[in-house]
Amino acid sequence: MTADRLAQRSETPQRRIKWSYMDHWRSNGPAGPVDQWHSHRTMSSFLKQIKAVGFDAIDTFDFRLWQMYGDYGGPAKYQEMVQDHGLERIVNIFHAADYDLRDYAPHVPETHENILEDFRVTMGHWSSIELDNIIVMPATLYYDMEPVTEDKLKISAELWNRVGEITAGHGVKLTCHHEFFCGIQSEPDIEVFYSYTDPRYVSLFVDTAQHCIASVDPVALYRRHAHRVSGFHFKDTRNVATGDDHRHRPDSEIMAPTTGKWFYEMGTPHGLVDFEAMMTAVRDNDYRGWISVEHDKANKDGGDYSESTAVARWYAVNVLEKIYR
Amino acid sequence: MRDTLRWAYALNQWNIRMDVFVRHEDQRRALKTLSALGFDHIELAAGTGRWDNLGRPEVIEINHGSPDGFLAFLRSCSVNGVSSMFWDPGQPVEEEGWAFRSTRNRADHAAIVESAKPFVDFLAAIGAEQLVARPAGSAWMQPPLGRDDIAAIGDVWNSVGKVAAAAGVGLALHYDCLSAVHTADELRRLLDTTDPELVGLALDTAELTIGGIDPVAFYEERHGRVTHVHLKDTRYADTGEEYRMPGAETTMLRGGAGRRIERWFFELGTEGGLVDVKAFVGALRRHGYPGWVVVESDHGGNPAELAMLNSWYLQHELSVARP
Repeated sequence: MTADRLAQRSETPQRRIKWSYMDHWRSNGPAGPVDQWHSHRTMSSFLKQIKAVGFDAIDTFDFRLWQMYGDYGGPAKYQEMVQDHGLERIVNIFHAADYDLRDYAPHVPETHENILEDFRVTMGHWSSIELDNIIVMPATLYYDMEPVTEDKLKISAELWNRVGEITAGHGVKLTCHHEFFCGIQSEPDIEVFYSYTDPRYVSLFVDTAQHCIASVDPVALYRRHAHRVSGFHFKDTRNVATGDDHRHRPDSEIMAPTTGKWFYEMGTPHGLVDFEAMMTAVRDNDYRGWISVEHDKANKDGGDYSESTAVARWYAVNVLEKIYR
Repeated sequence: MRDTLRWAYALNQWNIRMDVFVRHEDQRRALKTLSALGFDHIELAAGTGRWDNLGRPEVIEINHGSPDGFLAFLRSCSVNGVSSMFWDPGQPVEEEGWAFRSTRNRADHAAIVESAKPFVDFLAAIGAEQLVARPAGSAWMQPPLGRDDIAAIGDVWNSVGKVAAAAGVGLALHYDCLSAVHTADELRRLLDTTDPELVGLALDTAELTIGGIDPVAFYEERHGRVTHVHLKDTRYADTGEEYRMPGAETTMLRGGAGRRIERWFFELGTEGGLVDVKAFVGALRRHGYPGWVVVESDHGGNPAELAMLNSWYLQHELSVARP
């Protein structure tokens, strides 16, 4: 371990909050718009930018696993590259499953064994690095689950209890991230879902923008469930979903008719998330650990990932860290 | 930035044409980007017209009420101040009737000194330290420098330096790779003909390298005259005569002709960079350089991305700590 790394490790325990960056990214290069996984060079550029602006770590998706093997030699080797750029580690993995009523649907009991086997294999894939959370969308897309009934919520909860037991066996929390277009997104349905889950095995991952879009107050939601919240995506939105915005294939983030761009960086004008109230709640609950910043599709409508990331970091330092750090 | 050197960042890359980078919100985003990266001072660049609302003192005051109002605008983004402002008296501006002036033409000297005054007064009012000036126009636009030309150029800058010094502002002449003052000997002669108490050198590492002058060696030779630094890299050097191509601003620097190199300026740490940045910064530290080091992207790509890469290089390759 380098002297820098040792110094970094010795500094971090003094802070109650550390900041991670969820890996959505686009840049323009000779090959046109690319993401950071395009090449070692683009990955290095991404990691440098994240570190330069003050993030401590990154989150990523587990569909990157094979690219990690192919391009870097596996998760541990990829994480070494992350660390070579001054970042601490990979904190969270987002398990972006391709839900399908035929073989992968939490509210369909016949698919559960397939899902459980997926997680047994998945946790083995990531055993070479230390993770805090494996994040899931806990339901199929809304249009594949409706009508959302208590029975379906209970069946889903029972599945995630069993999945959480598997991930806990690997020292990783199973945590649920409620996209506005997934089957469990309304406040009543979220409450019923958690009433059937075991807090030992199922945690909540609060995405500030997704909840706002679904007309759920993320601050109130967090305050009610703070004891089982294992992480956050801090991002903003300017719009609430209306009509059937949440019912569009393949993905309402892309296809909803009312809104072309849902997500903005913290501090955006006209943002709907009350981040100061959110951070106050985080402080009041003595949360210690990671907050992830996410800029999903920041490049839409002329946006720029680099700038959004720097502006969000400015907001964290100049507004949020004055409340709690 | 926490370092023995003082670091600032130039805003020029964000301002690519008249009608961009005009909204205050766009400017705030750039300022917040730089603040988040650890830079708490910026360099401005002179411009013209109402759209270029960071380019003229009177336009800045219209936008922000006063110099203090402008400082309050910067500070609302956690940027504490302005290190410097770049100004080219050979660039015709609407505010002065699009007059075309040349520092080698003694008949223009009085007007050049007069046109410097608003910038000097503004810089003094906002606590900035340096007026960074282009000492001579592009080589391709004029005949080769004659015997008395460098003396004439030196005279006008001594006069401007006197005005600036009276206001407590420094004057630093910025070498650029297209300038009529092109060779190391011509640059030495220009420095020798100016008063060291009134006129310093703004050493731009990439511009010198493109112009065929080793910035580390030149700094070692004339470190006592260097009062301002622009730090950036390049992957190319002029083959020797490219700067004389007609329209070199576009034919050479934008790849319009010749080798068709579209991008000359690069971020610190770029692959194939010709500037020995570590040696140069090491020399600054060794000599106790007291001025501002302004990192500049200079129309190289995405401004925010390059600022982030430059900040990473400062933090991880030059051991400069973020505040």
